Amino acid sequence: MPEILEVSDVSLGYGGDAVLREVDLSLDRGDICGIIGPNGAGKTSLIKAILDLDVWWDGNISISGKANDTLSRTERARLVSYVPQSYSQGAELTVEESVLLGRYPHRRSWSRDSGEDLEIAARCMRATDTWRLRSRLYTRLSGGEKRLVLIASALAQQPVLLLLDEPAAALDFRHQVELWLLLNRLASEGLTILLSTHEIGIASGFLTKIMVLAESRCVASGRPDQVLRSDLLSEVFGLGLSVEKHSGGSYVVLPRME
Amino acid sequence: MAEPQGPGILWPVLGAFLVGGFLLSLAVGPMGLSEGWVVMRLRLPRALLAVLAGSSLAASGCVLQSILRNELATPYTLGISAGAALAAGALIVSNLVVSSLALVATGTLGALVAVAVVYLLARRGSGSAGVRLLLAGITVNLVGASILMLFEYFSPASRLVEIVRWLMGSLAAVDTTVPVFLLLFVVPGMAIVLANTGTLNQLASGETVAASRGVTVGRKRNVLLIASALLAGGSVGAIGPVGFVGLVVPHIMRKLVGGDYRRLVPASAVAGMVALLLADSIARIVISPAELPIGVVMSLVGGPFFLFLLLRSGRY
Repeated sequence: MPEILEVSDVSLGYGGDAVLREVDLSLDRGDICGIIGPNGAGKTSLIKAILDLDVWWDGNISISGKANDTLSRTERARLVSYVPQSYSQGAELTVEESVLLGRYPHRRSWSRDSGEDLEIAARCMRATDTWRLRSRLYTRLSGGEKRLVLIASALAQQPVLLLLDEPAAALDFRHQVELWLLLNRLASEGLTILLSTHEIGIASGFLTKIMVLAESRCVASGRPDQVLRSDLLSEVFGLGLSVEKHSGGSYVVLPRME
Repeated sequence: MAEPQGPGILWPVLGAFLVGGFLLSLAVGPMGLSEGWVVMRLRLPRALLAVLAGSSLAASGCVLQSILRNELATPYTLGISAGAALAAGALIVSNLVVSSLALVATGTLGALVAVAVVYLLARRGSGSAGVRLLLAGITVNLVGASILMLFEYFSPASRLVEIVRWLMGSLAAVDTTVPVFLLLFVVPGMAIVLANTGTLNQLASGETVAASRGVTVGRKRNVLLIASALLAGGSVGAIGPVGFVGLVVPHIMRKLVGGDYRRLVPASAVAGMVALLLADSIARIVISPAELPIGVVMSLVGGPFFLFLLLRSGRY
């Protein structure tokens, strides 16, 4: 069976400049992979290359065995969905209508929501605990609720690969934990997840793989215990960092105060 | 604001308003309904024009509001009214004796050229395409209005009056040729918009998210811009730059049917027909047997009503 995501020897960038060079990554069904690295390291750009959006890229990317550059927008949207870091909804829609937007690649533009669409949207809202919000306006939700609705909408695309750009950014501690638990549950049900994050500590308890980007390259990749080393992270972030494994399996990453 | 409920009773109500507005438009005037030729030759083309232009301006407003991600966008944001006014003004000043249809066609051509100029100006540059279109539209509107003012400044008084009258808008079609001419724009324009209402929902979500859900953003945006230009350009050529329909009607319908463009566009199109039919009837009743310019009536009634809605919603 092919890998869900195969990235090999990929370079990418904007205009004439390469942001990343010769990156490799392969993800199986149920993997949750975190891309970490300093600001500007190319985390979002790698996600954009998989979406074939805004950046140029060379090399090979395949999703479920299909070459990324041969996929139409609709074909790709049936395999991959994306949750942006920030999003302002132009139309004033209810939560249910917002989640149903994710059904777009599966139907004609003008068609009404079918019974199947409504059923899938309901399932996605229940999975993300947003069912109770379904008739509220999206614009009236809190930041944490909005993030969950966006994930529900992405799930309504029925993807094999879910991409998230800093999903835990600007969330309070409880919402962060709930988010990671949700992603963990989705992965255990077979969804493959690739995300960028700065919340290394809390994420480390849930990630199956970590990819470290710095200075236009992938400087390390592997399981959290292989990658989360104080020497490596200190060098990548240009700051003395101490990394300790917590008894629960997560890592605590703190700056060394000397 | 209460969460919008499903359309429910809305469609029968809109339908009743449409039929009522149409019949009112046929009945209103100094001569009674018994004068059949007046109804058939003068009022029917006029009512048809109101139906076609009203639906076009409202649908075009919806499209622009989605593409520009701005509820305050109107069909005229893309320089359509300035282009039409400039072209029609130039023809009026030229002193050529032309048919009313030629004036309509010239106005439409001017509107479409203005949109093309806006599109070309906005094609390059950084940042969001919506913001570039908005800025280019504002520029074309300002420059077009200034050139028109120059025309007016150097025109003899008789021509000046004609230009000003044209700018005030009118539904007084001499015969059915103008509604038929407008159909050439409305049919393809409306077909494209109605077939892409789900895409409008996605474009309103922003370019990146829309593309990630399978929208070929650049192509769809261009197709919808062309459709919007056909609808608004044809209408402005036919009836002059009547304001507020493209702004107020979608705004009101948004409160009634919600923000889903699959419902909003058809509801706005029907409500746009009703708005122009009623405005035109009022224009003919107030100082009968003379009539007020429809653009003035629309702005005088629509403006305060819009302000009332904004203040009541507490959003501004």
